[in-house]
Amino acid sequence: MQATLETSRVPAAWIRIVHLLTTPRAARLTAPILIIVTWQLVAPLIGSTLLPMPIDVLEEFIDLAIEGTVWSAFAISFVRLGIGLALAVVIGVVVGLLLGLSPRAEAFAHDFLVIGLTFPYLIWGIIVSMWFGFGDAGPILVVFIAAVPYVIVNMAEGVRDAPRDLIDMARSYDAPRLRVIRQVVVPSLSPFFFAALRYGLANGWKGLVLAEVFAATSGAGWEIAGMRDIGNASGVVAYALYFAFFSILVERLVFGRLSDWVFRWRPRRPEAARAVNA
Amino acid sequence: MAQVEVSHLHKVFEGESRTVTALDDVSFEASGHTFVSLVGPSGCGKSTLLNILAGVEHATSGRAEILDGGRRARLGYVFQSPRLLPWRTVLDNMMFVQPDQGAEHRERAEHYLEMVGLSDTRKAWPGQLSGGMQQRVGIARAFSIEPDALLMDEPFSHLDAITARTLRRELHALWMETRKTVLFVTHDVFEAVELSDRIIILAKGGSLRQNLTIDLPYPRDPSDDRVALTKTEVLRQFEDLDLVAS
Repeated sequence: MQATLETSRVPAAWIRIVHLLTTPRAARLTAPILIIVTWQLVAPLIGSTLLPMPIDVLEEFIDLAIEGTVWSAFAISFVRLGIGLALAVVIGVVVGLLLGLSPRAEAFAHDFLVIGLTFPYLIWGIIVSMWFGFGDAGPILVVFIAAVPYVIVNMAEGVRDAPRDLIDMARSYDAPRLRVIRQVVVPSLSPFFFAALRYGLANGWKGLVLAEVFAATSGAGWEIAGMRDIGNASGVVAYALYFAFFSILVERLVFGRLSDWVFRWRPRRPEAARAVNA
Repeated sequence: MAQVEVSHLHKVFEGESRTVTALDDVSFEASGHTFVSLVGPSGCGKSTLLNILAGVEHATSGRAEILDGGRRARLGYVFQSPRLLPWRTVLDNMMFVQPDQGAEHRERAEHYLEMVGLSDTRKAWPGQLSGGMQQRVGIARAFSIEPDALLMDEPFSHLDAITARTLRRELHALWMETRKTVLFVTHDVFEAVELSDRIIILAKGGSLRQNLTIDLPYPRDPSDDRVALTKTEVLRQFEDLDLVAS
């Protein structure tokens, strides 16, 4: 009885607010707000110019946007990323399909893939700066090198995971080859292609920014390194925020929508939950 | 009219450590409006036989084919699981097996969907349908190519008893209407007795043990004495055989 009385004293409005703040949707907002508030509270206590206050960073963030160099720097980087990634996808898909089909080719390439997946981008950055000096070629090559193993590995896995029961079904009905490729093989590969693209993009991007520090005189990586060189801490953090901003933008605008459309046939949450329970 | 010819069929699977004989010198024939059930314990090569007939697997030796007027018969295949393309709508799944994508075949696909009571799901994704409904689409798909013969591999074994019974009745109705040659694999002797003109019993190890004719009028009500009696009789033969085999 006591417990019931206690809870009844808590105003209903308060419960509703707490409830609202803890929904998954609200959590996406409350998390960054909480971080910023803590940051603003802690930064003055440390009192160092190396840890800028959120307000300074915000100012720098806005200045960068108005001044416009950030847009051109990212535009340069995105072009490099686009070229490197396009090469990685074209070559990676072909090689990946081949490795998936041929165990011998897989055995041949296995060690190279392991090296490719784990090799530090820093080393590639240094190597390409030696080979190509400062320019576009080095960073583009690093994007390609960073992305291509992920594309290969995912596509090869997609081939090995081919839906044999559906292919047998198609064969027993004598479905024409082109129709089987378009309606069975390609759709069955598309989740793997998506993973290839996602990992390729993410790793190509990480490799690119590093390469731009060593082997370029332009681009987002070069700009942020420049901020460090002149000791502009709030500039570095503001720039870092742009990296975060573009990640979210690409995820929401490109991958989120594209995958919603490509995988529209997948059963929605309730069915998925049922499948787990069954 | 379709003609099923199986003669001295052998199928051996060569594994790394052991070889498995799935079919051992199986011969039988069937033709015309016959519903043939292939019954046997699991691992006796029933499904392999259908796959060879469908051209998905190859015989080790011997012959197995279904002909229609001298050429290879057109076959509809109903599998144990529905085997629908999850990324195509129900109607697109029906269209996938049509030899021709024109309006005539589209009408045909829609017609057979209607016959299994699924016209409303034309635009649904297979994942939105229940297991029973998906299997219905699989059956409609097999009939929709207006095949010379039908192969069915335990099509009801994954369904609950009530859904299975409903679908069995629907299948029977479709068969009575079209009267195709059907080869129906099952491990359920009762199901075989209710549906078929003939029952072929395969033993473990893939040899043919019995080729029975079930001469009872349709529809076969499970509560009918003669049906019940026949079931008991076939089941006894089936069990005797297990003893012989072991």
